[in-house]
Amino acid sequence: MNSVLPLMAGIQLDWFSLPQQLVNGLVVGSIYALIALGYTMVYGVLRLINFAHGEVFMLGGYTALLTSYAMGYSPDAIRQAFAEGREVTSSPLNLVIMLLVAMAVCAIIGAIIEYFAYRPMRNQSRIAALITAIGVSLFLQYAGQLFLPSNPPPSVAQDVNPYQAVYTKVFSEAVIGEGGTVIRPAVEVTITQGRVIMLITVVVLMAVLTYLVMYTKTGRAMRAASHDFDSASLMGVNVNRVVTATFMLGSALAGAGAMMLTTFEGTTLQPFFGVLPGVKAFVAAVLGGIGNIPGAVLGGLVMGLAETLVTWLGYSEYKDAVAFVILILVLLVKPGGLLGSNKVEKV
Amino acid sequence: MSLGKILGKRALSILAAVGVCVLAQMVLTQSVDGFLLRLFFLGGLYVTLAVSLNLINGITGQFSIGHAGFYMVGAYAAGLSSNYFFPRQSLDMPAYLLVSVLIGSVAAAIAGLIVGLPSLRLKGDYLAVVTLGFGEIIRIITLNQEAWGGSYGYNLNHKHQSLALVFLLAIVCIAVCRNLLKSAHGLAFLAVREDEVAAQAMGINLTKTKVVAFVVGATFAGAAGALFAHDSGFINPDLFKMELSFLILTMVVLGGTGSITGSVLAAATLFLIPELLRIAKFEVSQGVLLGVLVAVGVMVYTIRLVERTFHGEKTQKSLLLLGAVVMPYVVMFGVGKLLETYTILGDKFYKANDLRWVILAIVLLVVMLIRPSGLFGHHEFSWDWLRSKMNRRAVEA
Repeated sequence: MNSVLPLMAGIQLDWFSLPQQLVNGLVVGSIYALIALGYTMVYGVLRLINFAHGEVFMLGGYTALLTSYAMGYSPDAIRQAFAEGREVTSSPLNLVIMLLVAMAVCAIIGAIIEYFAYRPMRNQSRIAALITAIGVSLFLQYAGQLFLPSNPPPSVAQDVNPYQAVYTKVFSEAVIGEGGTVIRPAVEVTITQGRVIMLITVVVLMAVLTYLVMYTKTGRAMRAASHDFDSASLMGVNVNRVVTATFMLGSALAGAGAMMLTTFEGTTLQPFFGVLPGVKAFVAAVLGGIGNIPGAVLGGLVMGLAETLVTWLGYSEYKDAVAFVILILVLLVKPGGLLGSNKVEKV
Repeated sequence: MSLGKILGKRALSILAAVGVCVLAQMVLTQSVDGFLLRLFFLGGLYVTLAVSLNLINGITGQFSIGHAGFYMVGAYAAGLSSNYFFPRQSLDMPAYLLVSVLIGSVAAAIAGLIVGLPSLRLKGDYLAVVTLGFGEIIRIITLNQEAWGGSYGYNLNHKHQSLALVFLLAIVCIAVCRNLLKSAHGLAFLAVREDEVAAQAMGINLTKTKVVAFVVGATFAGAAGALFAHDSGFINPDLFKMELSFLILTMVVLGGTGSITGSVLAAATLFLIPELLRIAKFEVSQGVLLGVLVAVGVMVYTIRLVERTFHGEKTQKSLLLLGAVVMPYVVMFGVGKLLETYTILGDKFYKANDLRWVILAIVLLVVMLIRPSGLFGHHEFSWDWLRSKMNRRAVEA
């Protein structure tokens, strides 16, 4: 029996690694969902595609990096400790500090961008606001190239991460024939402790977000503003504060996502780090129905799973295109996105 | 006017346009060196791209942010077909280039039709995402075609520069858009922009209007792509990234959405910023750069403050605005001189070439914050307007 089952000519599917790929997709998708929430919340309130959100994500990654440097995990410090024979220890508290700092800094950056760039554009045409968003995004990318460490691309030292243990769940053992040939590979799922914590954190953050949006006064104001911005302001909702809060919340989520991606996955940072995740998360938000919070989460997960499945099919070079293909197919069937409502305008 | 007279006038203006373009090519190729010639060439292409996107975005009001995709389709269709059909260089050049441009524009038109059709169902931002996605899908597919050179790019067998054709294309593009706006069909485009529901109620076929806008816009972008491919003799998917779409969109919006004049002017000036900084030799230290950034920020928000709160005499306002423009730089210069004794920032220097996109982004933000409706708004340049302005000035004097 062949270990891989042929499906189509030229494509060999490795069914035994599918469970692992699904788990990978879930992890990637949860990060996309976290970023997509920022896009969708801002769009819900302001009807503005916040193109600079990916750059806020990038700055969150850099904040996490610089915080880890400040806590003594810079390459120099680690090299010195190694030379002196000291062991570099890590503690969960460091990670909590990194997470909180990244979230706080991103929230502040989001609020600043809103105040200086988007607020003057609020009464202008939407295309002008969109161009401003693109301008902010380009500015942050290329100014980041000038002022942030990028050559060689730095990454958060893995010594800061205490959760490097690997869990393996074996569903069926490998069958080894005579002479050591593998008749059937093992079906197993491997996940690092860091990824488990990442998933838990994402769920917790989403729960907190749901609480904030559904059960607090600001959240109610937010929902009112996203339902009808002008009426909400007439009803005494301080829309400026609501918009700032929306930006801060969304940006904080992006910061959390960036911190976890850089720390637990060890992704290298560069000023264009946020572009691709940003675009994909934006597509995820549209896929789920932009302006719709559960939709963003669903869209993010679909996007992550689709991406890993395409890699699994052996088309990893088309990984970045599949997001758009799915989006176009879904929009052709459901123009309002998966969970969005498709309102027909009537006179 | 009789039909014959109109046709005669039309033929005369076409002949004049062709004559001007050929003359321009003759004069420029004789008198100007390579880099400047390339600037003229690129300027013509960007004008075509901006005006054709203006037809979709500004005049019809559809949200397209994937124009580089059509440009790319044109470039690759022209490049591949010319290598396939004319493998040897034994052709009458202008005719062959024309055929190639035709192939490029037809391919882009088909792409425009494919993208335009979903716009039957999609509106606003959803359409924007689909156009963005289309550009990216095309780019990634091309990136993975080994036969097309993949990420290494694709070499054309023939290289042929024709400044005359580029200028002619720009003129035709402008003429088509301008004349369209003077016809009943063109008014339908404007009506769709202003209010889709009302336009539909007045019997305008929304689908047809939108699709036609997409197809015409894409055709011109494709023709520009074909000329670009033959000019450089080498095309690469990286040349047609999202940034290019954004740059073209920026030209349209900075010029004033819907204004053809604005698109032309914005295209002709904006593309110069990165191109000139590419060859500029100056260097900027980190401190100076930060100082200028802060000063620009202060300038923009002071101007906004003056515009919003000052309602006095016009001369006083102009003086205040002038102060708002000049003061931040003077103050920052003073601060810089004071700080020179202490070294707070590292003595890192940036080449002009590295600052290209930062400066472009800053120009974009400054114009948007000070004049959000673009340089021209919805207005067009016309001789009547200029004449009335002159007359008024004469009367005042």
